[in-house]
Amino acid sequence: MIHHVLVLIRSQLRNEARAGEVATIIIPFGAVALLVIPLAIGIDTDLLARIGPGLFWVVVLLFGVIVTHRQSASVDRPQRDMLTLLGVDPAARFAATTIASTLLLLVFELAVGAITIVLYDPDLTGWGWLAVILPLVAAGLAMIGTLAASLTSGLGGRSALAPLLVAPIAIPILLGAAQATEGLRVGAGILRWVLVLAVVDVLLMLAGVLTARPLEES
Amino acid sequence: MTKRTVEIGAFGAMIIAFAVGLAVPPDAVQGDLQRIMYVHVPSAWLAYLAFGITMIGSVVYLATGNLRWDRLAGASAEVGVVFTGLALATGLIWGKPVWGVWWTWDARLVLTAAMFFVYLAYLALRRGVDGADRRAKRSAVFGIVAALQIPVVHFSVVWWRGLHQPPTVLRPDNPQIDPPLLFALLMAVFAFTLAYAALVRRRMALATAEDSLTDAPRPDEQVAGAAVSAPQIGGGRR
Repeated sequence: MIHHVLVLIRSQLRNEARAGEVATIIIPFGAVALLVIPLAIGIDTDLLARIGPGLFWVVVLLFGVIVTHRQSASVDRPQRDMLTLLGVDPAARFAATTIASTLLLLVFELAVGAITIVLYDPDLTGWGWLAVILPLVAAGLAMIGTLAASLTSGLGGRSALAPLLVAPIAIPILLGAAQATEGLRVGAGILRWVLVLAVVDVLLMLAGVLTARPLEES
Repeated sequence: MTKRTVEIGAFGAMIIAFAVGLAVPPDAVQGDLQRIMYVHVPSAWLAYLAFGITMIGSVVYLATGNLRWDRLAGASAEVGVVFTGLALATGLIWGKPVWGVWWTWDARLVLTAAMFFVYLAYLALRRGVDGADRRAKRSAVFGIVAALQIPVVHFSVVWWRGLHQPPTVLRPDNPQIDPPLLFALLMAVFAFTLAYAALVRRRMALATAEDSLTDAPRPDEQVAGAAVSAPQIGGGRR
């Protein structure tokens, strides 16, 4: 099973390397969003420095949906059927798509994070914690996105339905991430918010693995 | 208990709850505004109950494959969305005179609205999938994932210490509410719960009828093999 997971991750990352969708389309799109927000709310630099981390998380949530949607688009019905015939476990397919999406989301977070630092100049106190927070957020979003992509696979309005499924479900992740970075800014303890992120991730992982087979059959 | 008995019981209980809600004295601080709570609190309770039933229906469907549980999950979510909307609307109406604003960025308000959208998405997913079995499997998975949201909503008041008041009736110590007002509130909760049960039963019956209509072959429908005729052996014209 581990071999199947590794092969599928490699194939999905190779697809992204060839298409370059995250690097050439979604990251610039996120950068444009971060650029236009101050044009709408004003150029008070103190205010922008304070709200910069929150805006970063909003962009990660909303644009992360596109990242996961893109990744899952390469595993459509014919590919799924072929993998089933080859004896690939649905849970392995879920794990591979999730891990590949997590890696791509991490790249997206790092790129958009750098742009946020340049444009908003936020307080970077305790930034070392981001080494824990960023992967937890990426993994959570990747799992929700992978589930949503499986749920909407083959449906007529999937491109509109998938973001509607993901965005409200991802709110605990957004709150955990935003409260953790706010805690870093004001010097408060953030351990419980990191724990919230970890618990949400574990619950999503269990849901994803346990429901992979019924989804495969639907 | 027949469907009709539940519906008549719900109707009678709603009338009694309405009369009791009007008859009890007004709140010492909020006056008559507090009577909105006789709709708001039961609606909020039913939002949690309905989505909990949706999760149970989803889990049992995935375990047994019996479509009846999927219909229960779908009906409960549909009725739950209505009661969540009612809880949000009555909260807005109560909030304006008491808090001075229609809406505030309190954790429980935001997350209740999020829960409302989660279940709107659940219903959108159900509408988008053709075929009873396919729809049941996909919506059961989402029903379980969506249920992860409910504990977060429930404990949000404790986590963020927002503006929304903490539990008044279900406190570990004594309930902070006068007995007549408590009676009116409990009566409303009982009546709304009966109404929920009646609506869910009615919606499940409708879903069964919808499924049988969708799955039944249409009179003009060509079935596989209809174009193939049996060979005539002997006696036929050559």
